[in-house]
Amino acid sequence: MEKVIVTVVGPDRPGIIARVAGLLYRRQGNLENVSQTILQSVFSGTFIVQLPEDISPEELARELRDAVAPLDLKAYVDRYQAPAADSDPGKSDPYVITTRGPDQKGLVARITAILAAYRVNVTDLKAVFKGGDDPDDNIMIYEVDVPHTTDRRVLTSALKAKAAQLDLTINIQHRRIFEAINRI
Amino acid sequence: MLTKSEILTTLEMVRNENLDVRTITLGLNLLACTSDDLNRFLDNIHTRITRMAGRLVAVCDRVGDDFGIPVVHKRIAVSPMAVAGAAFDRDQMVRVAQTLDRAAADVDVDFIGGFSALTEKGMARGDGALIDAIPQALTATRRVCASVNVASSRAGINMDAVLKMGRIIKKAAGLTADRDGLACAKLCVFANIPQDIPFMAGAYLGIGEPDAVINVGVSGPGVVKKAIDRALAAQGDLNLGHLSETIKRTAYKVTRVGELIGQEVAAALGIGFGVVGLSLAPTPNVGDSVGEIFQSLGLKSIGVPGTTAALAMLNDAVKKGGAFASSRVGGLSGAFIPVSEDLNIADSAARGFLNLEKLEAMTSVCSVGLDMVALPGDTSAETLAAIIADEMAIGVINRKTTATRLIPVPGKQAGDHAFFGGLLGEATIMPVNNGPGTNSFVGRGGLIPAPIQSLIN
Repeated sequence: MEKVIVTVVGPDRPGIIARVAGLLYRRQGNLENVSQTILQSVFSGTFIVQLPEDISPEELARELRDAVAPLDLKAYVDRYQAPAADSDPGKSDPYVITTRGPDQKGLVARITAILAAYRVNVTDLKAVFKGGDDPDDNIMIYEVDVPHTTDRRVLTSALKAKAAQLDLTINIQHRRIFEAINRI
Repeated sequence: MLTKSEILTTLEMVRNENLDVRTITLGLNLLACTSDDLNRFLDNIHTRITRMAGRLVAVCDRVGDDFGIPVVHKRIAVSPMAVAGAAFDRDQMVRVAQTLDRAAADVDVDFIGGFSALTEKGMARGDGALIDAIPQALTATRRVCASVNVASSRAGINMDAVLKMGRIIKKAAGLTADRDGLACAKLCVFANIPQDIPFMAGAYLGIGEPDAVINVGVSGPGVVKKAIDRALAAQGDLNLGHLSETIKRTAYKVTRVGELIGQEVAAALGIGFGVVGLSLAPTPNVGDSVGEIFQSLGLKSIGVPGTTAALAMLNDAVKKGGAFASSRVGGLSGAFIPVSEDLNIADSAARGFLNLEKLEAMTSVCSVGLDMVALPGDTSAETLAAIIADEMAIGVINRKTTATRLIPVPGKQAGDHAFFGGLLGEATIMPVNNGPGTNSFVGRGGLIPAPIQSLIN
């Protein structure tokens, strides 16, 4: 039994997941997690699959590529590696960082550089850049985990200073406020 | 994972709709500070307040910053001083007020409530001393708020106390004549006063309350108005049932914010969490007005026919949404209509759409009462008392809280402008029917008996 990560990318259309899942089912693979998203018109899906012993990751990759090629999709299969014991960041708190401001190159790079420096892990990122100077057309939403070992006030100051340089409005809020307001 | 819509609508509520936690109020029991030695009593209350509230402002700011929602006011409500300081006379009570003021300044809260007396059935020695001290106490202090309960549904209306409060208000206005009678803006007269109000000027810590407690007052009239506007922009033919549902859902969101932040502050201070006061509390800023909601609902202005029905619907929807969002609800819980503190309501009064009589009718379906109403300076103490009595009767008969915060502005007439400043705002002075005249009805005094609780029409 081996666990693999299946990644499928290409132009979105009906039937992509049916084709991938159908093949995995026929080969007795067990789907553990699936996440898919559509960016503009591009489909991107990630599947974590437990494979039976009678098929290798390489064989699955070949079969998948053949199965999705008629749909102009690319498929990749990689062996799953459990996280190293020393990679655990310890306890953290979930925050949501949002920015608004004029579009320019390097926004994601410069914000995430600060997050990385403070060992903040991005768990979800949504960014829409329609271009132009209307702040509401250019929004980044980061869901992040801030380790307890990180001084949040120092992190906030660093992010605000960078946002000011980039002419962005930035908000850093504990995730629970969004859950409290929007969910029962 | 949160949705983009959940995140952006929340940000919008803070950024453009003035969503905030209006007040976190630390309730503190001061009865253990009692002494018949004034200096010892003053030391005791100052020590207890500064020790218990020393971290209040910093913790509120930190928690507010963590959630990205400002906690606008941090306040303290203490045991009724007429009880805790029952041994003292009028002049000593003024010194008590000054000590409360100094303690509030030392811990940097903007108001401290509880310079209060409960007199619905009679006036004990401490009550009389405190009430007599109110004009000087509110003149000599900045942060102290006073309240006097003169009526309840179980006791009736203490008309002796009502008349006395008419005279006290008149005197307090006179002592602060240079500030348009500002002392009166810090004085509420109540029927059925709740023990856990987080909002000023009526906050005090009731006798049945714990040693210390955190109560929260939420606000959000701007959020409600924008929600109505958005709903109508999306679908113009919504009826009032639909709009009530929109208000209810919005009140839920606003209250959740207060509940979460209040619980966090209470936990950080190691103090129990009390209640959320579900209120739409305006400020004198555009976009933070209860009055503007009425215009969004289709009325020309607050005060025109239809206002009482709209207010009844608004108040009920706020309570329904808020009650579901909160573990415990208390305080006044309803829409506030403080005339000078709401730019739109003050403007409606100035343009003649809203008068004293209409305000009184409105208070039968909402909290709190005739709130921050500027009256001509020559309004007699008896007329003030009669206005109070009318307002108390609405509360007593309907088993709800009502209150007055009346300001007879010295030297000014109906139509003149009164300026109180800051959160207290400004307003055009309303005319009063038979303002300077005599009123022997209130002069008769005595107790108006408690009402029958059946035969309720």
